[in-house]
Amino acid sequence: MATKFLFIYLPYISVGIFILGVLYQFWRWARTPVPLRIVITPAPKTRKGLALRLIGDVLLFPSLFKADKLLWAGGFLFHVFLWLVILRHLRYFLYPVPGWVEAIQTAGLYAGYLIPIPLAFLLARRLIFERTLYISILGDFFALFLLLAISLSGILLQVFFRTYIVDVKALILGLIYFQPAISDYHWLFTLHFVLIMVLLIYFPFGKLMHSGGLFFSSTRNQRANFEERFVNPWDFSVSYNVQNLFPPEKYRETLKGMREGKKE
Amino acid sequence: MKVPVSIPAIKIGSAGHQVCHPAKEKDMVKIDLPKERPPDWKGAMLKKMAEVLNKYRSVRLFLDICVKCGACADKCQFFLGTGDPKNMPVARADLLRKVYQRYFTLGGKVWGRANESAELNETVLKDWYVYFYQCSQCRRCSVFCPYGIDTAEVTMAAREIMAAAGVATKYVTEVVAKVYDTGNNLGIWAPAWKDNCAFLEEDLKDTEGLDIKFPVDAVGAEVLLIPPSADNFVNTNTMIGYAKIFHAAGISWTTSTYCNEGGNFGLFLNYANLKKINNRIIEAARQLQVKKIYWGE
Repeated sequence: MATKFLFIYLPYISVGIFILGVLYQFWRWARTPVPLRIVITPAPKTRKGLALRLIGDVLLFPSLFKADKLLWAGGFLFHVFLWLVILRHLRYFLYPVPGWVEAIQTAGLYAGYLIPIPLAFLLARRLIFERTLYISILGDFFALFLLLAISLSGILLQVFFRTYIVDVKALILGLIYFQPAISDYHWLFTLHFVLIMVLLIYFPFGKLMHSGGLFFSSTRNQRANFEERFVNPWDFSVSYNVQNLFPPEKYRETLKGMREGKKE
Repeated sequence: MKVPVSIPAIKIGSAGHQVCHPAKEKDMVKIDLPKERPPDWKGAMLKKMAEVLNKYRSVRLFLDICVKCGACADKCQFFLGTGDPKNMPVARADLLRKVYQRYFTLGGKVWGRANESAELNETVLKDWYVYFYQCSQCRRCSVFCPYGIDTAEVTMAAREIMAAAGVATKYVTEVVAKVYDTGNNLGIWAPAWKDNCAFLEEDLKDTEGLDIKFPVDAVGAEVLLIPPSADNFVNTNTMIGYAKIFHAAGISWTTSTYCNEGGNFGLFLNYANLKKINNRIIEAARQLQVKKIYWGE
């Protein structure tokens, strides 16, 4: 029963929460209007330039590079390794396995071995510096420990407790085609699998949403096309109250008086 | 990398005593804000917060996606100067973020501890009042944030929320109220503005022998000049500079007694006053029928 829950119901629940949660967050951001142009200059004027800057932001973290070289190195390596590991795992999801997934298997393997290093660095950095410790909250440590646990269990599965991966692939393809086929798994694989489900459930509701958020960020996704008029969708008109001594009407009268040669 | 300023060790609460003077009733009335904090100030603030979150994608997003990497932490001059950790941009935004988490997000409601969510209460409000008025909205932190999180947006949101429940500072509200009475931040009345201009004309004639005009309210001029009002009051050499340049370039120009202020303190308070002050520039330009506005601060 427990096996059935962990390997059949939990995956559907967590993937469902992940997809709906991420879409929900995107919807929350997308429906909120952007009243002002608050682009960080220097910014590109053209759509093409903007696309290039956004892609550069996503791939290379140039702002972070300007801010802190060590942090940039840690963050950058972590994200590169993470992507390689995720892409390597596609071999369990696709049948037949495409050539490019096969091609990155070795790179993905070493990325998997190395990924605890930047994770440990990011964790140590939070603890060592007074100011980063001050701003760190439970959610930050939760995400780091979760990722560390997932990566370490993955390494152990690769090196010491080798799993029969035909069963793993049968499990995942079974889930994808709604014909679940479960067998007996090593407890470490169960741990690895469940922790990933936990990550998927947590993902939409915490800071991990920074991944999609960049594309909605008004300071990074706007152009510096200051010549074009920017219209605030919820703009309203303003009025003067009786206590304001110099409303527009008074100015109109003053100018009229001057035109008619009257002294103010 | 060369670090021009050493990063201070954090000193908790070291800037907490630097509190702005509270706004005066007479100014609050003039700028359409509550005279004092109502008994249900918490309800008023949360209502305004919901409105702000639904009006500004930036605010909602910036409160959602911060990963607390600390890239901004040592970039704020107010942190570098005071060492107060709440002056780190991330921690400053956290003051608003934790209340946002508590009342407006699923994550904060379900697992409040992980998101460090907090009730809005007297202590939180005091921190808001102290630290959101220790941000100069310079946006330096946004340049270093990998997601472009702009603490100025968060600061402006927090001030707008506080203002809705009658919490504001005298320095800002008094200046905004003055603009609606006199057209400028310094409170220079129209006759005084004209007199200053006449004085500068005479002065220029006496000292340099130049016959250069300082037109005021000249309908039909080509350019409306919106200087900082201080240029006609203390930094008069700048005002003389404008006049000389316009004279040499042969451009007809004018200042306006209705709007002679390039600085907009509405920016430090709320959107309605920001807009109301900016509208004065457009109103002046329309009534004077100028072709261009030169606007500096």
